[in-house]
Amino acid sequence: KHSLLLVVLLVSNMLLTKEGVTSLPICPNGSVNCQLSLEELFDRAVKLSHYIHFLSSEMFNEFDERYAQGRGFIAKAVNGCHTASLTTPEDKEQAQQIHHEDLLNLILGVLRSWNDPLVHLASEVQRIKEAPETILWKAVEIEEQNKRLLEGMEKIVGRVHSGEVGNDIYTPWEGLPSLQLADEDSRLFAFYNLLHCLRRDSHKIDNYLKVLKCRLIHDNNC
Amino acid sequence: MDLRHLLFTLALICANDSHSASDDLLQWPQISKCRSPEMETFSCYWTAGNFYNLTAPRIIQLLYKKSNEEDWKECPDYITSGQNSCYFNASYTSVWTPYCVQLASENEVFDKKCFSVDEIVLPDPPVHLNWTLLNTSQTGIHGDIQVRWDPPPTADVRKGWITLEYELQYKEVNETKWKELKPRLSTMVPLYSLKTARDYEIRIRSRQRTSEKFGEFSEILYVSFSQIGIGCDHCTDEVEFPWFLVVVFGVCGLAVTVISILLSKQPRLKMLIFPPVPVPKIKGIDPDLLKKGKLDEVNSILACHDNYKTQLYNDDLWVEFIELDIEDPDEKNRASDTDRLLSEEHLKSHGCLGAKDDDSGRASCCEPDIPETDFSASDTCDATSDSDQFKKATEKEEDLLCLDRQDNESLPSIANTDPQRRHRNTQSQNSHPWAPFADSIESPRLSVHTQMSNQNSLTSTDFYAQVSDITPAGRVVLSPGQKSKLGRAQHEGCTEQNFTMDNTYFCEADVKKCIAVTSPEENEPHVQEQSYNEDAYFTTESLTTTVANLGAPTAEPPSSEMPVADYTSIHIVHSPQGLVLNATALPVPDKEFNVSCGYVSTDQLNKIMP
Repeated sequence: KHSLLLVVLLVSNMLLTKEGVTSLPICPNGSVNCQLSLEELFDRAVKLSHYIHFLSSEMFNEFDERYAQGRGFIAKAVNGCHTASLTTPEDKEQAQQIHHEDLLNLILGVLRSWNDPLVHLASEVQRIKEAPETILWKAVEIEEQNKRLLEGMEKIVGRVHSGEVGNDIYTPWEGLPSLQLADEDSRLFAFYNLLHCLRRDSHKIDNYLKVLKCRLIHDNNC
Repeated sequence: MDLRHLLFTLALICANDSHSASDDLLQWPQISKCRSPEMETFSCYWTAGNFYNLTAPRIIQLLYKKSNEEDWKECPDYITSGQNSCYFNASYTSVWTPYCVQLASENEVFDKKCFSVDEIVLPDPPVHLNWTLLNTSQTGIHGDIQVRWDPPPTADVRKGWITLEYELQYKEVNETKWKELKPRLSTMVPLYSLKTARDYEIRIRSRQRTSEKFGEFSEILYVSFSQIGIGCDHCTDEVEFPWFLVVVFGVCGLAVTVISILLSKQPRLKMLIFPPVPVPKIKGIDPDLLKKGKLDEVNSILACHDNYKTQLYNDDLWVEFIELDIEDPDEKNRASDTDRLLSEEHLKSHGCLGAKDDDSGRASCCEPDIPETDFSASDTCDATSDSDQFKKATEKEEDLLCLDRQDNESLPSIANTDPQRRHRNTQSQNSHPWAPFADSIESPRLSVHTQMSNQNSLTSTDFYAQVSDITPAGRVVLSPGQKSKLGRAQHEGCTEQNFTMDNTYFCEADVKKCIAVTSPEENEPHVQEQSYNEDAYFTTESLTTTVANLGAPTAEPPSSEMPVADYTSIHIVHSPQGLVLNATALPVPDKEFNVSCGYVSTDQLNKIMP
């Protein structure tokens, strides 16, 4: 029994301490009504977003190596992502000009829009023939971390936002049928596309959060 | 001729290659790479190939298209990034938007590439490398430095638009291989334990944090300690820890220590480190010998014990001695008991001396200082050996009992002793002259007893001989205890000198035959008397009978031998020759002796014995 508990503890510690994501206490002092500083909230958010992007990037690379070689996916992978309808800043100028509250809302919108696809990704990727274990657990991990980041962002928004928290920024995802196609080539292409979009959007969010952090916390002097 | 031929063919092949390359194959223009240094602009580079040389001069164009557009547009800037390049400034760059570029000339597409800007980020190298000395070692041979640099100026790190990682590499000036440090986010890093006598080169490159590819290396930074005046001119030779010497000396020291312990004569030390393994040992008997069935060796052990004659085996070690004894005519013709006794003693001592002094238990038996007479001298031989002796005795009739020769022989004095001499008052002691023996020998005793009883009826014999005196020469003088006659002895006389000299015990009866040949009397009632002798196996009844009968024989004129007292006590012990017996009627002049009924206990003997 003790050995099993120890193993569980070790495994959980291992998973939590990946790539800078440490298990930080919610309230360091242990008090009931504690509040983390905005800086602390941003630090955690940046760490999470970096971790999610790291996992997405690796997952995409593995999938590309394993399934996409020789299928000409790259040529076709210009298909838009479902979050393309959200007008997000495309360069530094735009990112610097947008108001931080709007940017925060956009971040929230993107995160919410990915909630659903991540859930289905984690479940559908297991049906891929001979899917490597690393892809499987990464999909599950990304989905979980995305939820945590969403919670954190809502906290930040609650702190920063003076007015109401807008819930209307949201894009539904309708790509589930394409993940369940009978034809293996089409199905794999759908996965490839989804993973490509995931990598891109996670990079976007990571960048926006760093910009916001430098702007709001460090006053543009990171 | 062959060499020229070879050269000629080689030249032909080379000409063919170059010729075919130029004529047949047109190296198409290719897009070599597209790169964005800061995620705000990007450039694409291509190679022209041999296009211009071969065909009519045509203009190569780079067209691009964003994913959400339909038309291909031409490159806005062919110049800024150099020849065969296309530069897209910030206004043309959308970071997360997929682009496609293609290399074309008049509707002929040479190459095409699709990407998004965030995927092609390769930062510029860091700038402003410098180093400072942190500290030096006490000997001045090594030193620590801190290297600092600035991020590439194009990358906007301050606003957090791009996050960079740096990798530092360094090496000594005359080395070829670079040492790498782990990529890190900070723009300074310490380098420890650099040799002050050597010069170093340092270079750094950077990459976007989530990417895998690094940008170009920075300019090389030269580190020279002599510039600051710290250089150690005389420390050119590296002083490394002499691990080899340490190991060699350690091994030698250990070996010397072990050998010295082994060879040291200090028993304590040796016992401490190499404790002796105790060997199980029963005094007088080595169980291994019994297991192996080496009876001859067992016999040799038992030969040390009193009155046990070894078996005659062909490979017996002491056959030689035994045979000598047998063949020696003097042995048989000896008239005196003393001589016979001594010869046996000689035999026994031979037997004992022939035994090896090892842990088998024989050594303990061999105590030549005590004469192997009838009374027991060796207390070290315990009852176990006695029992074995008796068992053997029963097997071989001729050995101890002399039963095949005499009728009324009993085991003469099994002088061997029962270390626990008990004073038993058994009814049947007459039939068992060894009444107080241990229980272990019950069975042989019984068998002997049966044999005894068979022959008891015939005549009465003297069971014991008495040591009357010890000559100065060390010989023991024996005399029969009582005037008892041997029935057969009268008839047989001393002519029958069939002393089985191979027996440890000499047959008393034989002796008495010779001695008492002239004595006509036949003392029936004295059959039972035990001439007590120093062999202290008495029983009360026998004593009483002896006493009772004492009177009768005394009336008769004694035979050749002189009258001796019934009891003798041990007066003096001449070590190692033997005992001088004090022929007193009553024992115990010496208070040490608790001679009850003539017993001399083992403990008392022990006290006496040297």
